Amino acid sequence: MRKQIAYIVAFLLMAFSFNLSAQEMSGTEEEQAFNPKETIFKHLLDEYSWELPFSHEHKISLPVIVRDYTGDWHVFWSHRIDHGQQYEGFYIAQDGPNKGKVESIDDQGNRYRPLDLSITKNVLALIIAALLCLWCVLSVARWYKKKHYKAPRKGVGAIEFLIEFIYTGVIKSTLGDKAPRFAPYLLTIFFFILLMNLLGLIVIFPGGANLTGNIAVTMVLALCTFIVVNVKGTKEYWKETFWPDVPMWLKFPLPIMPLIEVFGIFTKPAALMVRLFANMMGGHMIILSLISLIFIFGAFGAVVVGGITVISVLFSLFMLMIDTLVSFIQAYVFTMLSTLFISLAQAEGHHEGKVEKVKK
Amino acid sequence: MELFTPEIGLVFWMFVVFVILFVILAKFGWPYILRSLDERAEFIDKGVEYAQEAKSHLDNAQAEAKALLVEAQKQQMEILHEAAQMKTQIIEEARQAASVEAKKVMDAAAVSIEQARKESELQFRREVSQFALQIAEKMMRKQLSDDKTQVEMIDKLLNEIENQN
Repeated sequence: MRKQIAYIVAFLLMAFSFNLSAQEMSGTEEEQAFNPKETIFKHLLDEYSWELPFSHEHKISLPVIVRDYTGDWHVFWSHRIDHGQQYEGFYIAQDGPNKGKVESIDDQGNRYRPLDLSITKNVLALIIAALLCLWCVLSVARWYKKKHYKAPRKGVGAIEFLIEFIYTGVIKSTLGDKAPRFAPYLLTIFFFILLMNLLGLIVIFPGGANLTGNIAVTMVLALCTFIVVNVKGTKEYWKETFWPDVPMWLKFPLPIMPLIEVFGIFTKPAALMVRLFANMMGGHMIILSLISLIFIFGAFGAVVVGGITVISVLFSLFMLMIDTLVSFIQAYVFTMLSTLFISLAQAEGHHEGKVEKVKK
Repeated sequence: MELFTPEIGLVFWMFVVFVILFVILAKFGWPYILRSLDERAEFIDKGVEYAQEAKSHLDNAQAEAKALLVEAQKQQMEILHEAAQMKTQIIEEARQAASVEAKKVMDAAAVSIEQARKESELQFRREVSQFALQIAEKMMRKQLSDDKTQVEMIDKLLNEIENQN
């Protein structure tokens, strides 16, 4: 659907100058019985192939990697199972609980979902984002190797500005002496999320995948923070968790505070996961809905479509601008909260334990 | 609810991609960048400090130069003053010496003039006495030539001289 933003520009021209053709185009959309819910979810979720811009026909075929119930691995290109085709017993479910996913039928005739490690659209987008991230960061490192004390210019300077902003503004000011130990993880998190967010806003090929609006992606990120926080946690942190500095009755017969603290260990990464997911998914959904409006109103003739188009495009442009800001803010917030959780788990001494309570 | 169920394949790939990205960046990217950032910040701080120091040095030097200049001017004035003093003193001394010398010369001149005057007086007297004697002689010669008494008197005089001797 996001590709259709490009269509809209064409629409804008056509709706006013070529009434006929505009009617025809809205007519064709009508004939296909436009289903906004389906279209929106199709674009929010994953796919086995990647549509090229300006066409529903041309797709980039991606490898499907599945393991059937007998434990055999099957690898084939996704165009084999396009349009309801079946290949080696695998097909994309058109209904049921696994709708849109690869399914197969076992020897008892039951439909089942095989272990699916396909390189889907989102996986490819992940790899692209990771490569971009590598290139960005290593270009800064290369600059320093080549030109030692010279201030970087242009793109490298912009990236360095971001690094400096996060490193001194967030990591160093929160973690203090321990900043160099955790900075690589936190900076990687920040740049990876930022690039995934921004790539998601680009409508056509290398972008457009709703990565950080996918709960699997944010779950892994939150899980990594969870691991770093708890594996690197100090003795003081664990003591504060299981035997906090509160009146005895709050922890002895009934371990009320320890329970709350242990619960807190899990709610913190969960909050990270949901925050990023909901923010990015929401942004994508709003833009998709706005664009869908044009096609919903397609049946009402050229004038209505023209008017709605202008309004939709203006609104989605506005939303895209906000989303650009949100992309940065969410990456920043994720990094900041991760830093904060790490610093809480790095508590040392009695005094800092109290500060920890206040912060919570 | 598809939106809220994490896909196992994507979780797997996300984990793999993220771990690889992290390992590469943590090994080749971040440590180098962060170290360089710190080093450069330190370098710049040092540079600023150095510049400030240099500036203060310069300011000091200017102040010193100014003080030196003032001092030199003062000394110059003193020297000029002294020179002027010395000049007047020398002139004074020279004048005194000259007057002393002049007095000496004058005295000497006065003495010699006195001497000369005495000498000339003496000579004059001598000459006058010679003239008187010559005149007297001439007068005497005339009278003596024809008078016997005179011969007698001469004899008498001669006798006197003889007696004196």
